[in-house]
Amino acid sequence: MVSEVPNTYQGAMHARQKDLMQDYQQALARSAAGDGPPAVYLLVSGNPVELIHAFGLLPVFPEIQALQRAVRHESLPLIQEAEARGYSTDNCAYVKTDIGAWYRYSRSPSPTVPPPGLLLANYVGCQVYWQWWEQLEDFSHAPLYLLDVPFSRSRDGLPTPDDIAYVVRQLRELIPILERLSGRRYDPDRLRQVLQLSRETEELWSRIKWLAARDPAPFDAYFDAATLMAPLYVLRGTAAGRDYFQTVWTELEARQKAGQGPLERENFRLVIDGPPPWPYLRAFRDMFARWGAVFVASTYSGVGGLWEFGFRHQPDDPLTTLATHMLTWNVPNQNLRQRYDLLSRYLREWHGEGLVIHAVKSCRLFSSGHGDMREYFAKTLKVPTLLIESDLADPRYFSPAQMRTRIDAFMESLISSRLGRDAIS
Amino acid sequence: MGYVAGVDVGSTQTKAVILDEKRHVVARAVVDTGSNVARAADRVIEAALAQGSLSPSQLSYVVGTGYGRFRVGVGQEQITEISCHAKGIAHVNPAVRTVIDIGGQDAKAIRLGEDGAVADFVMNDKCAAGTGRFLANAAEVLQLGLDEIGPRSLNAARPVRLSTVCTVFVESDILSHLARGRTVENILAGVHRAVATRVVALARRVGIEPIVALTGGVARNIGMVEALEAQLNVRLFVASDAHFMGALGAALFAWERAQGRAFAVKDQ
Repeated sequence: MVSEVPNTYQGAMHARQKDLMQDYQQALARSAAGDGPPAVYLLVSGNPVELIHAFGLLPVFPEIQALQRAVRHESLPLIQEAEARGYSTDNCAYVKTDIGAWYRYSRSPSPTVPPPGLLLANYVGCQVYWQWWEQLEDFSHAPLYLLDVPFSRSRDGLPTPDDIAYVVRQLRELIPILERLSGRRYDPDRLRQVLQLSRETEELWSRIKWLAARDPAPFDAYFDAATLMAPLYVLRGTAAGRDYFQTVWTELEARQKAGQGPLERENFRLVIDGPPPWPYLRAFRDMFARWGAVFVASTYSGVGGLWEFGFRHQPDDPLTTLATHMLTWNVPNQNLRQRYDLLSRYLREWHGEGLVIHAVKSCRLFSSGHGDMREYFAKTLKVPTLLIESDLADPRYFSPAQMRTRIDAFMESLISSRLGRDAIS
Repeated sequence: MGYVAGVDVGSTQTKAVILDEKRHVVARAVVDTGSNVARAADRVIEAALAQGSLSPSQLSYVVGTGYGRFRVGVGQEQITEISCHAKGIAHVNPAVRTVIDIGGQDAKAIRLGEDGAVADFVMNDKCAAGTGRFLANAAEVLQLGLDEIGPRSLNAARPVRLSTVCTVFVESDILSHLARGRTVENILAGVHRAVATRVVALARRVGIEPIVALTGGVARNIGMVEALEAQLNVRLFVASDAHFMGALGAALFAWERAQGRAFAVKDQ
């Protein structure tokens, strides 16, 4: 029986991340205590965090807050609190975790998180999310701005000039709201500087993701990449963020050159679609690690932005570039055909041997179509494909024994097919 | 090398198969799993050893499978029931390409490649609809033995259509049909059809390619075999020891290990 030990690599990047995220948490706590810039609540999908930084405001991502609670095993009582108030068991567990926390703390979802100065619903692909923001408006009485970003619907997946103009016009409407909240005039040069820092961060992030295409991958592009997402979304557009990703790049590239990966040995290279089961993150990771399976690419790490295929923010045309990012260059706003293409590229160019699809009960947006996706990859492309189901924040939907049987059987089938190929050759 | 064994700890029954050096079945046993899973594994091994007049020291390798595979105390290795059912059936009939396995709590469909290895598989979700549990509940409501329901379902003239495949709600569904004067046979035929519909939908997800085999405890139910055949429009291959297929596959893996043929990726 295989039993790979996940390595416990802790480098300068981990120490630096801890410091940076601590600084951020402290900034949130100061703001919550009335000392510091107001907070703008925004959604991860294709987030325009640059605009928030350009006004010196504090970005807060309630999804990240909710997933952190799930990792700390704090989500279930909050979910149950929301359900006791009438939220359906079928509703998104991120939403219920946050709503439950608002019921508990009333002024904001946590004593150390400031209430919103503005609720920016920058992603409308998920209707539950707007309603989440509407509920937060009701709790906080903060202004709500619903930024309507049309879903990708052209055949090539690219936005039409009208789509771009439509989003740019809304960004222009948003600017006076941000001016009032921050007390600062809109300064296009300041936004250009922020976008330039974002651009440099994006270049580094793209290079980091391509490192995982090499043999061996120096990090797990699902489990490890997920831990890099908080700095990527919170600090993108800041010098600290850019410098941090420089550290990550330098360190991971050195590890790759030294043949070091996230496990003692990389036996399998897999690609994964879907968010992680946060309450069981460690157990879920171990179920793959014990087989020496490393995720070399994941769609989840592209939720906030897809940069590995060349898109970079263009400081010359700030509002158009923000709109283009929100419209196209993030996984949630892409259509299913684009997702298939994306996964196919990950399998081909990152040398994935199999595809794991993790459907979550909370997120219909990510999970509807997973049955068809399984059929397409397994039957049409003949890629070994595993479809498993649980949830991103609700621990009640994760069944460890069932999950393990499916994963073990999948890994056994990969081994059998390798042995079969060897026997044939 | 002596003898090898496979132990399949299922939710309802625990099965063991012992093979000799030539891969001939020399003993097999089945016990009810009950609440003490580890004890069931011990008991089934004891029973199989007794049947083969063997002592524990004569077993050179034991593989555990099934949901309780990690509770097989004498097991040197654990392999999932998906791989084991595939292994067992490919040994018994190498021409099989699709395996439908219906156990006490789960149902799975496995597609086999040319080499008999698992090419694809799907399992039911965390729901016992379409499993042996559904049939057991129906039998209980009708106060019949599990071995009676299959044969009696074949005598139905006008099978009822159940409104649910939910194992919990099937009871009230059956009671309402009884209240409307439907015969036990017609109700049983409806029950078997409902399970077959659910299982066939599962099997379609891996692609149904003949020869199709039925394994697992439910393979002993003739009503289920016929209901599946009617919906699939193919004859099923049902081995005489179909419910031992997981244990047989585990024993075959054990035999390979005893031969020094490894499965683990590390040793490739």
